[in-house]
Amino acid sequence: MSRLNQPPLEQERRGQLQEYGTALAWTPEGNELAIASAAGEIVLIPLDGGPQQVLQEADGQSIDVLAISHDGQFLAAGGQAGTLLIWRLGESPELISRLDNSRTWLEHLAWHPQRNELAMGLGSYVQVWDAEAAEVVTTLMFESSSVLDLAWHPEGTQLAAGGHQGIKVWNCQDWDDDPQLYEIPAASICLAWSNNGEYLASGNMDRTLVVWAQGNPYPWRMQGFPAKVRQLAWSEFWLGEAPLLASSSREGIVVWHKQQQDDAGWNPQLLELHNARVSAIAFQPQTQLLASASEDGSVCLWQNAEEVVQLLDGAAAGFSALAWNPSGTALAALGEAGDWLIWKQGRGKRGFLNDIFRN
Amino acid sequence: MVNTPMLNTVPVTVLTGYLGAGKTTLLNRILTYEHGKKVAVIVNEFGEVGIDNQLVIDADEEIFEMNNGCICCTVRGDLIRIIGNLMRRRDKFDHLVIETTGLADPAPVIQTFFVDDEMQEQLNLDAVVTVVDAKHIHDHWDADEAQEQIAFADVILLNKTDLVSEAELEDLEARIRSMNIMAKVYRTQNAAIEMQQILGVNAFDLNRALEVDPKFLEEDAHEHDETVGSIALVEAGAIDGEKLNAWLSELLQTQGPNIFRMKGILNLDGEEERFVFQGVHMLFDGSPDRPWKPEEERKNELVFIGRDLDAMQLAEAFRSCLV
Repeated sequence: MSRLNQPPLEQERRGQLQEYGTALAWTPEGNELAIASAAGEIVLIPLDGGPQQVLQEADGQSIDVLAISHDGQFLAAGGQAGTLLIWRLGESPELISRLDNSRTWLEHLAWHPQRNELAMGLGSYVQVWDAEAAEVVTTLMFESSSVLDLAWHPEGTQLAAGGHQGIKVWNCQDWDDDPQLYEIPAASICLAWSNNGEYLASGNMDRTLVVWAQGNPYPWRMQGFPAKVRQLAWSEFWLGEAPLLASSSREGIVVWHKQQQDDAGWNPQLLELHNARVSAIAFQPQTQLLASASEDGSVCLWQNAEEVVQLLDGAAAGFSALAWNPSGTALAALGEAGDWLIWKQGRGKRGFLNDIFRN
Repeated sequence: MVNTPMLNTVPVTVLTGYLGAGKTTLLNRILTYEHGKKVAVIVNEFGEVGIDNQLVIDADEEIFEMNNGCICCTVRGDLIRIIGNLMRRRDKFDHLVIETTGLADPAPVIQTFFVDDEMQEQLNLDAVVTVVDAKHIHDHWDADEAQEQIAFADVILLNKTDLVSEAELEDLEARIRSMNIMAKVYRTQNAAIEMQQILGVNAFDLNRALEVDPKFLEEDAHEHDETVGSIALVEAGAIDGEKLNAWLSELLQTQGPNIFRMKGILNLDGEEERFVFQGVHMLFDGSPDRPWKPEEERKNELVFIGRDLDAMQLAEAFRSCLV
């Protein structure tokens, strides 16, 4: 569905972490948010205004990544110390695993979409950990560099890891099988599968974006970016040939619309408003509304990924991260100075205001 | 603008030198000296370094080739990743030291600052400091890395001077100067050096004057037959910008791998400001600088540091760019 006339977002809660907000993750029900900072604290915030729970106090070692399992049972965290922490969530969350990896930062964690298996980047390796059995499922060698991004195929059949020289994709049915190689002549720094599993996109260090369609070895290559492509997001909902793909590079966002003919490629649409680096982009689940957070201190909502319908602020030092809850009714963002904010859709019948442009 | 220190950017010192030259001693001096700076350190040889500092980060020395048609353009992927994380805690430090292993080519470290947009915005490369073991450098002369660490340096510490004779030192210093005329050379024992000589040098600041030792220009022949050397060109008159562009493009395409560093101040025809530029291999950065002063002689100065450079050919090509 396309909620064309949604009520605008209104600030619901806000608070403060000690340092730069680094990571955030919603529970599948969307009623609880986990956030972390560069000082190492990890906090759980209920959406209904209930009391916050501190899972870990600040210890001076940055937490860089948080991930919540598909069933909401487990929260995983990692960072500068190289320690993987897993809590079993519930009334009173319990730390059930603490795995030390010396001399490596944990920056990438991804839960399998249907199983309680967690993929993590450990230097130039990928390890898959079974949280229920508390054992290693497999250790995979990425080899060509540190793992720079990780993502499971939406059906859970494949695991992709990106880094120097492209993306390697392993078949989960047979971990020992050689991975399929999606080669690029640069480093892939972010990767994303479309929700229908049809497309795999790679944002690259050499100022390009490459998209592969399932079963076709010849990718589309988009270029002309002002700097490396740092963020990617696919829309869950779409009206045309394919999901929309949003990409960000420095302060600009480009939304790509696939043409009917494969040969015609993807049409770019530039979204210009931010005047500092875009730090996060995310489509609202089930719509084409795109949210973008920037170091300029604004979060911008783009109706149909083309027109600004709302501007949010609240992090004067700049925003560092952003995430919609799974139902798309709440949006959370973190700031570079440790601010955290949650906005919820109002109950008003009014649609987004279109007169928010300030000269 | 790549390297003009801007407000709020963190200065970076790149520290190179062979194992045992005294890098760690120097690093510990930097960390313990009461200069009021909070220093973060990125090291490659973790564990060998007895450094007690909360912000010592272990790097993996990952070399990424850049796909920009440039055969020698490589960057350090680990630095981009680690510094990206480190900058989130920038209130915790105000100077960054990147230490490279003895066997590392310094070029990818420097090139990373030219190529990566985030690093350009947040950091400014202050200087490349190379520590040379006066006694043992002779064992390494043949290694490319040893020569490149000297060629890329802005500051050279000729360390362990107590272990060699004055004659040997003079010979060594002459040899080093013929390779790199831009570097400041200091003789040290136990890497003891005034901090202001190595921190806040602004060697990569385009607006800092090019300093060519006039004595270097007077020397006709160098005793040492190094493959790595410096070439300084000084020409009066005005330069035709288009000709210069065409020449430099062609030069970097064909000889980029052999040109380690270049710097220049140019008098472009029809321009009231000096044009300043610098390059590392094929990466090039230039911009107008201050206006020429009325009493100042308008001339062009270029320095190349590289391997197997043909001085005659460079001088001739450069002269052909004059109006």
